Amino acid sequence: MTQPKLHLQFAHSSVLRYGLAVVSVAMALAIALPVQHYKFREVGLPLFLFAVAVTAWYAGVGPAALSIVLSSLCFDYFFAPPLYSLSFTLADVPALLILLTFAALITRFSTVRHRVEGELRQARDDLQIEVAERTQQASLLNLTHDSIFVRDMDFVITFWNLGAQELYGWAAEDAIGKHSNQLLQTVFPAPLEEVQAELLRTGRWAGELKRTTAQGATVVVAARYALRRDEQARPVAILETSNDITERKRREEEIQGLNQELAERSTQLESINKELEAFAYSVSHDLRAPLRHIAGFTELLHKKVSSVVDEKSNRYIAMILDSAKRMGNLIDDLLAFSRIGRAETQKTAVSLAQLVREALADVRQDTEGRNIAWKIGALPEFYGDRSMLRLVLVNLISNAIKFTRTRPQAEIEIGCADGNKDNLVVFVRDNGVGFDMKYVNKLFGVFQRLHESDAFEGTGIGLATVQRIIHRHGGKVWAEGVVDSGATFYFSAPKPQGHLWRA
Amino acid sequence: MESMNRLGRILMVEDDPKDVELTLTALEEYNLANEVVVARDGEKALDYLYCRGEYKTRSSDNPAVILLDLKLPKVDGLEVLKEIKSNGKLRIIPVVVLTSSKEEKDMVASYKLGVNAYVVKPVDFHDFVNAIKELGAFWAIINEPPPGSVRK
Repeated sequence: MTQPKLHLQFAHSSVLRYGLAVVSVAMALAIALPVQHYKFREVGLPLFLFAVAVTAWYAGVGPAALSIVLSSLCFDYFFAPPLYSLSFTLADVPALLILLTFAALITRFSTVRHRVEGELRQARDDLQIEVAERTQQASLLNLTHDSIFVRDMDFVITFWNLGAQELYGWAAEDAIGKHSNQLLQTVFPAPLEEVQAELLRTGRWAGELKRTTAQGATVVVAARYALRRDEQARPVAILETSNDITERKRREEEIQGLNQELAERSTQLESINKELEAFAYSVSHDLRAPLRHIAGFTELLHKKVSSVVDEKSNRYIAMILDSAKRMGNLIDDLLAFSRIGRAETQKTAVSLAQLVREALADVRQDTEGRNIAWKIGALPEFYGDRSMLRLVLVNLISNAIKFTRTRPQAEIEIGCADGNKDNLVVFVRDNGVGFDMKYVNKLFGVFQRLHESDAFEGTGIGLATVQRIIHRHGGKVWAEGVVDSGATFYFSAPKPQGHLWRA
Repeated sequence: MESMNRLGRILMVEDDPKDVELTLTALEEYNLANEVVVARDGEKALDYLYCRGEYKTRSSDNPAVILLDLKLPKVDGLEVLKEIKSNGKLRIIPVVVLTSSKEEKDMVASYKLGVNAYVVKPVDFHDFVNAIKELGAFWAIINEPPPGSVRK
């Protein structure tokens, strides 16, 4: 290590380099002069050659030239006849030539040596940097959460990072040297031969692997393989990066299971719906026909015999006709009710005020001869299926008309109650016979009636229809009543967000 | 009565004898019942229209109107309607579907096939009689049938 330092100093200081030339020549002279006294005259030239050589070797071309000049002068002065004079003669030329040639050779060798030395140094430095980088990279690999390990082509693990230790439970010292697939009990998604073939063909492979950890737990990992080849393109190692997807996989499977269940349920629902439709169709068709016949022939019978049979028989006939008519209404209402369940809702912004006007026109017949004070408040726009909402209003209003029949002065109020920012609440209030809150839960059931049928006619489907429609709009229905003091029916619906809502 | 001579013949396609009787009773009020030909299923109706089978010998005039039930044995009403409306000679005959059910899909299918009217038989007898009477009066008396129909 000292030599390069010396060389560097020489290389960087011209004073030292030229100084070396002077000093080496001076030393050669200092040795040669005393030796000359002992009749060794021929030692002068070799000593000066040595001084030139040293200078050329360590200090380069410039100092070498200086040392040649100085050596030539000294040699000429002290050793070449005539002694102690600087006269150049032809006899001095060979010595000078020897000096020059020698110096040139040494300088040349020196240059080559320096270059080689430089290259060697560079290579060593590069190597050191690379070692440092590699060391840093290896420690970086330990920082990642992914598990990374390297195995050779015989599946023997050669590198194992901290992530691998965390995921699989083995420390690096336990894992390195082991057969990777045996250690981890790897289950491949495809035959191993196919995996290997793809890896060799493309240099990469990715897939999901099932493995067993040191603790015996099964994990699913998403693994990526990268093949490393040497300079001769021979495969030498496989780097595997993997991360734990066990939880994700479990959830995926759960979702898949749920989806399948959902698909089965919806198939079931579809078939039930189809059955229901077939049922509704046959009710609509097959039940109505015999009913029509009963009504028709009873009517014909009535025409024929009414004048000859007694009052009681005529009353029986009237009751048959009435029942047939009632059953007809029941079937119609039931069909309408089932149709609401099946029909698609076509939602638009609907003016409730307009719908109330239409509903009042629909029930005008029922209000004939009645004394009704209508109180209709400001009504907002409602977002929903127009014809269904209209049915809601017709049902609620005709109920109010029906159950105030016993009042000399009926009062019916329709308005908008205080909802909250998400909901809109509309009510229909009357001062009719009301109901007992004890039975409020029965109000909206199909065929549920709270009054005797001869007091207030009806099929018991109206409020069920109202509830079904409002539920289909995502709203709620409820009622408040006091026996003999009227009832209030409410329905709510969520206000639509954004531009659809203009109220 | 003068109108008697201008009555059109009605082809009623109806499998239920009770419905046939009720319908005929209703039509009697306008003295239309005598001109009703009843076919008890879709096949018989087509036999009549094509003058084949038991109707081989009938005069080849078309009826003034066809009252067609939808639920029929053998060939159902919609098939009969399809056959009539796809036949160049028969398609001009007015066809009124007269059925028990108000199923939307039947209604849509009938109108798509080119039905001239769609009537749901009312359960109430008075309504039923009125509907049939008005139908009979309109198609057999008021409406001018296409050429080639029976007009006495």
